[in-house]
Amino acid sequence: MELTKPFYDFCIPFNKDDKIMRAILKELVELGYKTIAIDQSFDHSKKEAGKRGSEMFPEPHAIEHLRKEFNDKLKILQRITILYVDVNVSHAMSVSLNLRKFNIIAGQPKTDAALTHCCTTFNGDIVTFDPLAGSRLLVNRKAYQVGVRRGLYFEIKYSPAIADSNNRKDMIKIAQNYCTKGKSKNIIFSSGALDDFQLRGPYDVANLAFIFGLSEDQGKNAINRNCRQLFLRAESRRLGKTIMFVKSHGPIVFSDTSEEEMSEGDVEINNVNENDQTKPNKRLKLG
Amino acid sequence: MVRIKNRYIAVQIVPQTATRTLRLNDNTLTKCLLENVGKHYGVYGLGLLEQGFRVKYCNERTKIAIIRCLHRGQQYVSSILPLITLIGDVRAKFRTLYVGATIIQCNKFIIKHQKEFLDKMMGQLESAKERQDLLKSVMDFDMDR
Repeated sequence: MELTKPFYDFCIPFNKDDKIMRAILKELVELGYKTIAIDQSFDHSKKEAGKRGSEMFPEPHAIEHLRKEFNDKLKILQRITILYVDVNVSHAMSVSLNLRKFNIIAGQPKTDAALTHCCTTFNGDIVTFDPLAGSRLLVNRKAYQVGVRRGLYFEIKYSPAIADSNNRKDMIKIAQNYCTKGKSKNIIFSSGALDDFQLRGPYDVANLAFIFGLSEDQGKNAINRNCRQLFLRAESRRLGKTIMFVKSHGPIVFSDTSEEEMSEGDVEINNVNENDQTKPNKRLKLG
Repeated sequence: MVRIKNRYIAVQIVPQTATRTLRLNDNTLTKCLLENVGKHYGVYGLGLLEQGFRVKYCNERTKIAIIRCLHRGQQYVSSILPLITLIGDVRAKFRTLYVGATIIQCNKFIIKHQKEFLDKMMGQLESAKERQDLLKSVMDFDMDR
């Protein structure tokens, strides 16, 4: 299991300008975020449908230098937001190889039919919406509950609400809709901030839960625990069925009760499991 | 005797462009906050909050302020703090540091916070005089207002 630390912000739009990107990341460190995702949006509906089988999704942006710079302070993930209108997208998603390079996949439906599809069969992790024209699309009760059961998370961005008062009304409308339709389950807050001034501290964001119709606990979970769950889900989707490979360091005292099996796995997962390597040993020594 | 429950919210004001002072005092801050409460929650919010609402402490140089409000209305204040972008005539944002039930706890927290800030800044300065000045400006409290 890969370690991540609170707090989480899963939507930082990518900016070509390195200077702005750095300013945002620095501010995030200052405010106390530990895990963030850099977002890249992709409009599926604009591509012509004729080309089947070819790669539709773009490569992730190169952010290695940023990762290196904020190595010990921030964990930077990559996320893609797919805007789409019809169900053709699921085929394109199933054949795409580039998509596996992203940590998190979000869907942004543009029509009612797409929204229902997004909740019921979409192979992603987050359902988000356009903050500028979002209030026309409201999720219905059935689809929302199916989405919750499938473990999808619904995103509320707060920075459009800060920037403009019309957007604020729409935002509150959408959030309250989640509240009336299903008690605001599986909600995460993220920023979507275009510059460092629109970012707010994690506790400030948790306080916003009050106007979005969530309880205090739910508000705090929306930036902490739910995001962790989301991350684990996304990771398990990305890796698929995997075989664990546990490596031991130092002497192990085997006890009668515990049976440890060493099995070999592929190399790709090894680095993921590095953090947990020490844990089994400890348990063994105690037993 | 029944105790009146207050909440003290310690906030830091972060201006968009770094400036030395903010030209702020208690009155402008109170006015700004109440205006925003009125904007978002209307007359009901104002009626709930106005009694017992006060900016207890506001330091221009360290940019830290303490807001007192009734326990019942605390959510109405804390939920609009992130939405404010204009304080007086300066573009700035609030950053909630701490919410306490007594002003002493708030004070303790602020001192701790300032000390941490001082530790971080001290390493970057060179001359001893600059350090003295910084120490003086950062650890400057006057709580007896």
